[in-house]
Formats: sequence, C-alpha cells, structure tokens
Amino acid sequence: MTPQLALLATLDGIAYAALVFMVAVGLTMIFGVMRILNVAHGSFYAIGAYSAASIVLGLTAAGMNPWLVFPGLLLAAVGVGAVLGTLIERLLLTRIYTKEPVLQLLVTFAVFMILEDVQRLVWGVRPYFAAEPVYLLGNVQVVGIFYTAYQLILLPTVALLVLVGLRLFLRRTLSGRLIVAVTEDREMATALGINAGRVFLLTFVLGSTLAALGGALASPTTSLVPGIGADMIVLSFAVVAIAGLGQVEGAAIAALMIGLGRSFAVYVMPELEVVVPYLVMVIVLLIRPEGLFGVVERRRI
Amino acid sequence: MSPLLRVEDVHIRFGGVVAADGVYLDLEPGESLAIIGPNGAGKTTFLNICTGYLKPTAGRVLFEGNDITGQPPRAIVRLGIARAFQIPQLFLEHSVLDNMLIAAAARTRAWNPFRAMVALPERAEMIGLLRQLGVADTAEQRVDGLPEGVRKLVDVALALALKPRLLLLDEPTSGVSSSEKFQIMDALVQALKNQAVTSVFVEHDMEMVSRYAHRVAVWNGGRVQMVGTPADVLADADVRRDVVGI
Repeated sequence: MTPQLALLATLDGIAYAALVFMVAVGLTMIFGVMRILNVAHGSFYAIGAYSAASIVLGLTAAGMNPWLVFPGLLLAAVGVGAVLGTLIERLLLTRIYTKEPVLQLLVTFAVFMILEDVQRLVWGVRPYFAAEPVYLLGNVQVVGIFYTAYQLILLPTVALLVLVGLRLFLRRTLSGRLIVAVTEDREMATALGINAGRVFLLTFVLGSTLAALGGALASPTTSLVPGIGADMIVLSFAVVAIAGLGQVEGAAIAALMIGLGRSFAVYVMPELEVVVPYLVMVIVLLIRPEGLFGVVERRRI
Repeated sequence: MSPLLRVEDVHIRFGGVVAADGVYLDLEPGESLAIIGPNGAGKTTFLNICTGYLKPTAGRVLFEGNDITGQPPRAIVRLGIARAFQIPQLFLEHSVLDNMLIAAAARTRAWNPFRAMVALPERAEMIGLLRQLGVADTAEQRVDGLPEGVRKLVDVALALALKPRLLLLDEPTSGVSSSEKFQIMDALVQALKNQAVTSVFVEHDMEMVSRYAHRVAVWNGGRVQMVGTPADVLADADVRRDVVGI
C-alpha cells in the first residue's frame, strides 16, 4: 500500500466515521435514557436522507440560490426528527415503556418495517442522487490528493460540533442534567417530581434528529436506494456495542475504528469490506463484553 | 387548628403480613413527630402510603383537607409532602449543587431546554439551603465522593428544595457515627424550623427521640399503639418492654 493510498483510505474512513457517529450517538443516547433499543432509528437516517435529497433537488430545480441547499439539509434533519420523532414517541413508545424488552424490540422493528414501505411509497425504488452540496464546495488538495471539501472538512466538522455540543448540553444545561439524572435513577427523578415523560420525549427527538442529520448529510455523497436505513442501523448497533451502551465519546472512537477499518479494507482486501465492522465488534466484545468504555451496570440498593 | 395530615383507618397487607391494620394519626402544623416501634411494625409502610408509593386497600389520607389516597408520588410531592430516605437518594454523578438545582427545576417546572446550569435563578436560594444545613462548602463536589453523614444532610436539603410543608424522614441518622448524630440532627431541626416545615421521622435511638420530637407515636403490629409526649411515651411500661427493650 502506497502512502498516498493510505492517506486516501484515512480520509475516506474519517468521512464515513463522521456519518456513522452522528447516527450511532443518537441511538446510544436514546438507549441510555429510555432503555429502548430503537430499531426504527435506521428509518430516521433513511427518511432524513431522502427528505434532504428532495429538498436539494427541489431547490436546484427551482433555480434558487444554490447555497440554500445547506440550510435545506439541516431543515430536513430537524423536520424529520421533530415531527416523526414526536409522533412515534407520543403515539407508540409511551405505551410500551413498562413492557418487557422483547416486546419493545418487536414494536420498534415493526415501526422500522412500516417506515421502509412508507419510503418506497413516497420516493419509489429508483435511486436518488443529489450531489449539489458536494459540487458547491469543490475539491481541496491534500499532499497531492484531490478530495471533496464536503467530505474532508464539512462532515468531520459537523461531527465534532455534534460531539462537543452534546457534551456541553449534557453537562452544562438544565435539560442535559435532567436527562443524565433520569438516566441514572429514573425512580428517584420521578420522586422529586421531574416529569420523566417530557425528558423521554426530548431525548427521543434529539436522538432521532441526530440520525436524520446523519442521513441528510450522507445524501449528497451516495445514491439513495431502499435498504440504506437497514445498513445504517446495523452499523450503528456495532458502534454502540463496541463503545459500550450510553457512551458519547466512546461512540466517536468506535465510529472511527469502524470507518477506518472499512476504508482500509476497501483498498487492501475489498472482499472483507462488509465484514470488517463486525470483526472489530467481535474482537472488542470478546475482550471487553461491556464495550470499550462501557461500565458494568452498577448495583442498585 | 385543623390537622396538616390526617390518616384515617388505613389498611394494607402484603400476602400474610399485615403492615397497616387500621392506622389513625393526626399531625399538627409545625410539630415534629417521631415514629418508633419494633422492626416490621409498619413504620416505613406508613411513610410509603403517605408519599404515594403504596396504595392502601382501605382508609384515607388527607393532606390539608384534601384526599391524597393513592395519588402518584409525583402529584403528592407537588402538593407539598417530601421525603428523605434511610439511604440517601442522590444523583451520584452530579455535583451537590446540580442535585439541588434539578430538584428546584422539578418544583418550579420552569424548563427552558437550553438554559445553562450556572444561569439558573434558583442558584442562590439552593446555596442558602445548603448553608442552613452546614454543607455549603460541598456544593461543587460530586456526590459519590462525599461521606455518608454529609450525604444525609444533602438529601434533606434536596427534600427542602422542593419547598414541602411536610417532610417525612426515614431514620435520618442511621449509618452515621454516634458522634455525628447530634450535629446532623441539630442542623436538620434548625433548617426545618427556619423553613416552617412539619416533620415526621422514624427513629430507633430513644435519645434522639426524647431530644428532638414534640410527640412520639408508637407503632406495633400495623397499628398506632400510643401517641404522646416523649416523656410520657418513654415512661410507659408496655413501650419500654416492646420497643425500648428494657
């Protein structure tokens, strides 16, 4: 492997890791607070991506200022997270919080299946490609390699902002502290009079918005076909398992491991590309079953 | 004066164990009532019924004249009954002050999602409460690094942050060395007085009871066996035999 190829693989891996991180961190937050493994999280990624592509294509067709596509991507993410997230949490999840995990898993899986078909109904099965944002930002040269500025600068920057922003939000704001408090001891939080239902809604909308943001930002770099949600949810599960459930910084590192592992595999042993994330996961879990940064559930007295 | 809390003929059983078998009790505003009794007499069950954690099968609980029987804990907290636990219930991964501010936010229900913790208007009030209990110097420390005695006082401060009119304490000085006990109770009673909070505390230590309670209720077999001043109750022959163990 030449140094240039290694650099290329590294850049590919970072860009991909940035996207996976945004989706996975949403998933891990929802699980950490609500103790629900949300399979439908992948649908938020897919619908976020499709909505973003529609907005980008619509804006371009209407001949508007091309730079509007960037607010458009953000709007798609927030819109999908807020509207669909609120609907699913209020109408469905509130009914199953006290049920056993198997049932919760089945319900979110059912939501995922339904939303897969909704995507086919709305957007069809024809691939969507809306790369306008990538063209707009152009290419940059890094040590003799041309790479898109969108993937080299924008994606990692947004991912970093999400990481730092989430950290500050959870540590420094009242809502963040309430979310952590409910995560730590839901019973006690309720005893104090904290409305756990509202904390759950906030968490779910926030987590779903992050998944939709991942989708919206991924849409210009890939062609959208049915099934992207399933691919992403499986990868996110791998990230969350590697990092340890509920770990925000851990998810960033795990996403990087998977992103880099996958991109290096593409150049070195292409036939391993699909397997690499799971190989990493299996190795980590064999050594540390609770994940790299996970803590063994503390005993509650 | 009408009672702050009135408990009428409350019954509850767990399988074969009768934990409340016709409990009657009136609580006057401003008083401090101690509950004593042998293990399994239903003392903690009584606190659980008053705070909504257990629903009695029969009987009523009235708080300031309103029937609160079987209401959920959150609703009862909002009405003004708070509770401090035998094992302090605190968010271990938060600082003491964060714990207090979370409780304050739960009370006021003012909830601006992105409000910074350092900008919350209740900050000064919460530090004042911690100062009253003599633990203001721990405000910025994480709870999991604090000794048990300090945690007890923070737990009480947390309960007071909810601005209750009635505070139920389950063995406030258990698990604390005897040298610290009086210090903790002195701080606690003074804070309750400043906030004009009526209190009920379950206690095993008769010295604490005679020193800090206005009245004592003796629990036995799921019933109130006797209510009176500490001097009267502790002089009673049955109580001395069954509870004090002399």
